[in-house]
Amino acid sequence: MIEAKGITKFFSIVNEDRTAAGLTAVLSVSLKIGDGRIVSILGPSGCGKSTFLEILAGLQAPTEGEVYIDGVRVLEPLPSTRREMEDYRRRYQFLSPLANGLFRDRPKHDIAMIFQDYAVFPWMTALQNVTFALKLRGVARAEREERALPFLKAAGLGDSLDKYPSQLSGGMRQRLALARALAVEPKIILMDEPFAAVDTITRERLQDDLLKLWEATGITMVLVTHDTDEAIYLSDEVVIFSPPPGEVRNVFQVESLRPRRRNDPEHLDLKRRIDALFKYDIDHESEYSI
Amino acid sequence: MKRYETRGLRLILREIGYFLANALGSIFSWEFVTVFVPLLLIWELLPRSGAVPKSLVPPLSTVAVTFWEMLTQKHLPTHIGHSMGKFFLGLGAAVITAIPIGILMGWNMAVRKRVLPLFQLLAPVPPPAWVPITIILFGVGLPMQTFLIFIGAFYPILFNTYQAIKDTEPRYLASARVFGASELTLILHVYIWHAIGSIIMSVKTGVAMGLVMLVIAEMYGGRTGLGYVLVEAKDFFQIPVMVVCMTVLGVIGWFLIEILKFVEIKLSVWKIGR
Repeated sequence: MIEAKGITKFFSIVNEDRTAAGLTAVLSVSLKIGDGRIVSILGPSGCGKSTFLEILAGLQAPTEGEVYIDGVRVLEPLPSTRREMEDYRRRYQFLSPLANGLFRDRPKHDIAMIFQDYAVFPWMTALQNVTFALKLRGVARAEREERALPFLKAAGLGDSLDKYPSQLSGGMRQRLALARALAVEPKIILMDEPFAAVDTITRERLQDDLLKLWEATGITMVLVTHDTDEAIYLSDEVVIFSPPPGEVRNVFQVESLRPRRRNDPEHLDLKRRIDALFKYDIDHESEYSI
Repeated sequence: MKRYETRGLRLILREIGYFLANALGSIFSWEFVTVFVPLLLIWELLPRSGAVPKSLVPPLSTVAVTFWEMLTQKHLPTHIGHSMGKFFLGLGAAVITAIPIGILMGWNMAVRKRVLPLFQLLAPVPPPAWVPITIILFGVGLPMQTFLIFIGAFYPILFNTYQAIKDTEPRYLASARVFGASELTLILHVYIWHAIGSIIMSVKTGVAMGLVMLVIAEMYGGRTGLGYVLVEAKDFFQIPVMVVCMTVLGVIGWFLIEILKFVEIKLSVWKIGR
């Protein structure tokens, strides 16, 4: 269970003429994501959805608000007063608040994350990428390969174990990223536009693979995307972010049963409603860009 | 057991073969030979024809004969050996210290803030400016020469390593962190590999600066080494000897750079697709 309470993220910027400016990326977002659900976060580019996902993962501290994963606080918000700031600086002067510790590999939460690009390490072979993730989860050296192989085979990478990512196609790289995320058997997978960089046919295959895996494991999945069809086809719940500053605009439940068809009339109807919403937002953008 | 040994040996020989093919390939390519051979001919013929004074520009054949004499009678191999000994001591010290310090500075803001300004203040001092004080502190001899080579190679390696580590793609770090990587694991498995090309590049610069400082150090103090032979040749006006020394230094530098290029290819196989 992921619980986000009033997440706000504010970036301060220095303009070219040296005046200060601010950018609110995420504004007061509260979300509850139940176990075993697939939730999509959908929104126009620059609406702070990736930032929100990184806050969920504990890779960025929110300006305000709290995130709990299974009741455990993720990252404390950044300091807001001068005194808090001094305190914060002192506490984290030697190690970033993101660090897991100096010498011991130990994840803070049982999650895995997949990025769009930079998904896998190019200097490790397919097999090494997965065994490295297992090593970080404290799996003994002797068991790593044994545990990695079934996931790699399921991802169709059984013949490419010793290939480097540069030798794999875009779709295979994404499948490798997925296999690596699944191999550590997390409770939650966070995905930042995982299929945006591959062609349509590959994307649809990857989506079906993802659903198959989800049915087999029941992992909670949070997916950031700008593809309405993808969001509807995959998820139980579609969260719409408004144009910047990113707020939760609407939440749609997708109730059609699985396995779903891609051109389900119910889906088309929902897509029409979501697209109308985006169109409205774009037409009335002046209201938001104050 | 025996089979293993021969296989290992064969593997090493094959790697050496690859290296030589790589290194010599560019020199013995047909395109370069068509430029190189005429240049050598001009070098031989101009002094012989009297177009330039022979006493100032020795022809190629004279240099070759001098080289052979030095090799067989004047202990050139010993001088090369001494020079290389000092060079590798200095360069090794620079690599062993500069790379870890660079990694620490690139990795951690707290270390960077405390250490970097010091190096930024010291680095602009031209390495040859260290010669007088080094001679006074260490006297003339091996420690002084090693230190000067170290000073020459240290800063380029340090700053390039630091910069490369600092520029590591944050999303690689993020994905490793989500899996649970400790900072040590991040350094060993993410930072270093992401920066490996720049680190090797920095060692190449270090080799070039180290050779500069080697010659300077040997010119100022010591009774062995190529720099010493050079200065001695100047005192006796032996131009062919100087040319031999310069050529030997050039070849050594070229050879070391080729070795590093080979190491780079070996370590970054993953960068080359298919």
